[in-house]
Amino acid sequence: MNSPATAAACPSCGQALATPLLCEACGALLAPARAPTPFEAFGLEPGFVLDLAALRRRHLALSRELHPDMHARAEAETRRRAEDGTAALNAAYQVLADEDRRADWLVRALGGPGEDQERAMPQEFLLEVLEWNEKIEEARSAPTGSAERARLDALVPALESERARRRAAVGECLTPLPPAGAPALRRARQELNALRYLERALTEVGELRLAVR
Amino acid sequence: MPYLELDVLNQPARPTLGIDLGTTYSLAALWRDGRPEILRPKGRPDGRIPSAVHFPASGAPLVGWSARERAAGEPGRALLSVKRFMGRGLADARADLASVPFPARETQHGVIQLEAGGRLWTPQELSALILREVWRTASEALGEEAPRRAVITVPAYFDEAQRAATRDAARLAELEVARIVNEPTAASLAYGLEQRREGLVAVYDFGGGTFDVSVLAIEGGVFRVLATAGDTHLGGDDLDRVLVELALAEAAPPADLAEDPAFLQGLRLAAEHCKIELSTRPEAELHVAVPERRLAWRRAVQREEFERLAAPLLERTLACCRRALHDAKLRPDQIDEVVLVGGTTRIPCVREAVAGYFGRKPHAELNPDEVVALGAAVQGHVLGGGTRELLLLDVTPLSLGLETMGGAVAKLVPRNAPIPSQATETFTTYADNQTGIDFHVVQGERELAKDCRTLGRFKLRGIPPLPAGMARVAVRFALDADGLLTVTAREQSTGTEATIEVQPMNGLTDAEVETMLKESFAHAREDFDQSRLANLRVELGTMLRAIEKSLPGARASLDKETLTELEAAVAAARAAQQADDVKRVQRVRDELERAGLPLAAVLMDSVARAALQGKKLSEV
Repeated sequence: MNSPATAAACPSCGQALATPLLCEACGALLAPARAPTPFEAFGLEPGFVLDLAALRRRHLALSRELHPDMHARAEAETRRRAEDGTAALNAAYQVLADEDRRADWLVRALGGPGEDQERAMPQEFLLEVLEWNEKIEEARSAPTGSAERARLDALVPALESERARRRAAVGECLTPLPPAGAPALRRARQELNALRYLERALTEVGELRLAVR
Repeated sequence: MPYLELDVLNQPARPTLGIDLGTTYSLAALWRDGRPEILRPKGRPDGRIPSAVHFPASGAPLVGWSARERAAGEPGRALLSVKRFMGRGLADARADLASVPFPARETQHGVIQLEAGGRLWTPQELSALILREVWRTASEALGEEAPRRAVITVPAYFDEAQRAATRDAARLAELEVARIVNEPTAASLAYGLEQRREGLVAVYDFGGGTFDVSVLAIEGGVFRVLATAGDTHLGGDDLDRVLVELALAEAAPPADLAEDPAFLQGLRLAAEHCKIELSTRPEAELHVAVPERRLAWRRAVQREEFERLAAPLLERTLACCRRALHDAKLRPDQIDEVVLVGGTTRIPCVREAVAGYFGRKPHAELNPDEVVALGAAVQGHVLGGGTRELLLLDVTPLSLGLETMGGAVAKLVPRNAPIPSQATETFTTYADNQTGIDFHVVQGERELAKDCRTLGRFKLRGIPPLPAGMARVAVRFALDADGLLTVTAREQSTGTEATIEVQPMNGLTDAEVETMLKESFAHAREDFDQSRLANLRVELGTMLRAIEKSLPGARASLDKETLTELEAAVAAARAAQQADDVKRVQRVRDELERAGLPLAAVLMDSVARAALQGKKLSEV
């Protein structure tokens, strides 16, 4: 697990803060001067490797303190902080809990290319993409129960294992975190592009399997 | 100690109603003595109130059971499921409006208005009538004024416009909305499933007019909605319809009869009855009779036959289940608990289908008609400060975004994002010296804005003239814990605050809500005045008759001045007896009472004397 970010002090009680959103010592809800990064919101050092179960527990624990429901009868300013703080926490959780979004955030934060600047996918991956696309297209026009549809079922594990491989590759590029502007960031972006394709393909296959015709 | 904790500890829990504002029925529950309880008035085991409004030929609309009773005989004057029109425009609701016996139009902001009982009603105002009736019934059950604060439930599938309409209906009913909660989420609160250390729950909610399924994760007392899916046009009514169609096909009534609303309403009731009976018996009778048209048809329906007819509808519910699990990235066998909600889940084949799909016996210990209101009361208990043990983390059911150049959608808040949620996206100008940008706020999953639902449009004005692409306009979406959206925008490059005119689509503006509320007060005044007037006239008549009867005998005992005053008051009262002005009638009544006091005194004396003389009171 990553160690806590540099501690600031609570303006109410002076205790060290683990998150800029609230003081867990005195329960004060805070209004941070700038929006915290996803890692800051959870009091974590930036890093690709993360304990997901611990992150989820932390999200629940912080939600218990921050959520507007817990401040339903407080005065307007506290209710506003609860609303804003929970929104920030939820946004941070969504980035951190999803490996691909977490990697995307790190690549950008380290000055790496965005998907609009680096559109390429890894070379060897492109050939497979052509083959998968063909299978998906065939299945799209085929009726339920046909051989084309059956091939779709076999495609799912193939796409999933490819996704696992690509995620591992992203992890390698980002562990330990490369220095800002390192070539590894470009490679990570290419792997992320491949992952985006895989996610879309898996969703599409899922939709096709759900659809009855 | 943290002051927020103290805040909670020092204040007594604030009672908060839980209201299930349903398509066919509505009901209220309240947390009492450590558990949620349905509020049933004495002698009425069923706490439900039909979500029906009936417009009599004259006078104020009837709501609830009386409306439903009248609706059976006069379907042309009743509205049975106003919820379907909440947050909808004419174009969205065309199919549903076909079965409504009132002319419909639309406000300039796309809010449906139904013309009934001599005026126009928005769905928000009609729902407010139902909410007032729910509140009144709750007060009757409690024997005192029910809390005006309430948690109100909506289908998980409701979009922003529909949630906003629900909130506005509550405001019109003078209720303070503590929270809008998804119905399936409320149902799992009712079962106390938060007491599980952790687990995955599927809530299968098959009501009268809607179906939805939600997948929730529970962990350490926290509820998280992972995914919801549903069909706003799939419910128990559709199961009645398969029987109605069976009857229409086999009984073959004449064409004009088959289109007669009263006949169809009767047939629907017969079908519903047959369906309910089939839940407990292997066979039930379906019959149609219109003696004056010499139509009499009856036949036995086997449970198996009904199940065969219902199968495609059940399959549609299971397709929604597959969709929700797909979105939650789960398999059916990973679900730990299944909860049944809605009267339709009493049907054995529905239960079997659910049990079969999830591979486990669903929860049906609580009354499926009541679980949602009970759960809303649990959440009301939390929001009233009664407990900090429980926390509900909800998600938004549909993606929110803005139309971009070329008609595509830029999603700002994705579907199933936890709420509250906030997102900011920066836009720029595409022409030199452009000083305004039009924004189109949409909700939905489709790629193109035209295929999504329009929530509103707004214009950003006052952007400083700059070369194309230089202005930086930050648009911020803030989705609160009720799933209600606020959009703000500002130009950043120069720090200039730009103005926004938001135009809600299919929604009421705050000003409109205020006006309606004032009008409803005015109407309430009018209704009150009318009944007061009726009561005053009755009272005046009684007083006049009493005076006319006793005055001749008492004349001698009254002085001249008193007599003149009394005769003037009587004349004024006679003249005002049929007046429509409440104040005038009230005034002459008061004057008559005052002028009649000496007469009353004389009569009292004579009564006393008569009593002494052994005369009977009636002889005085």
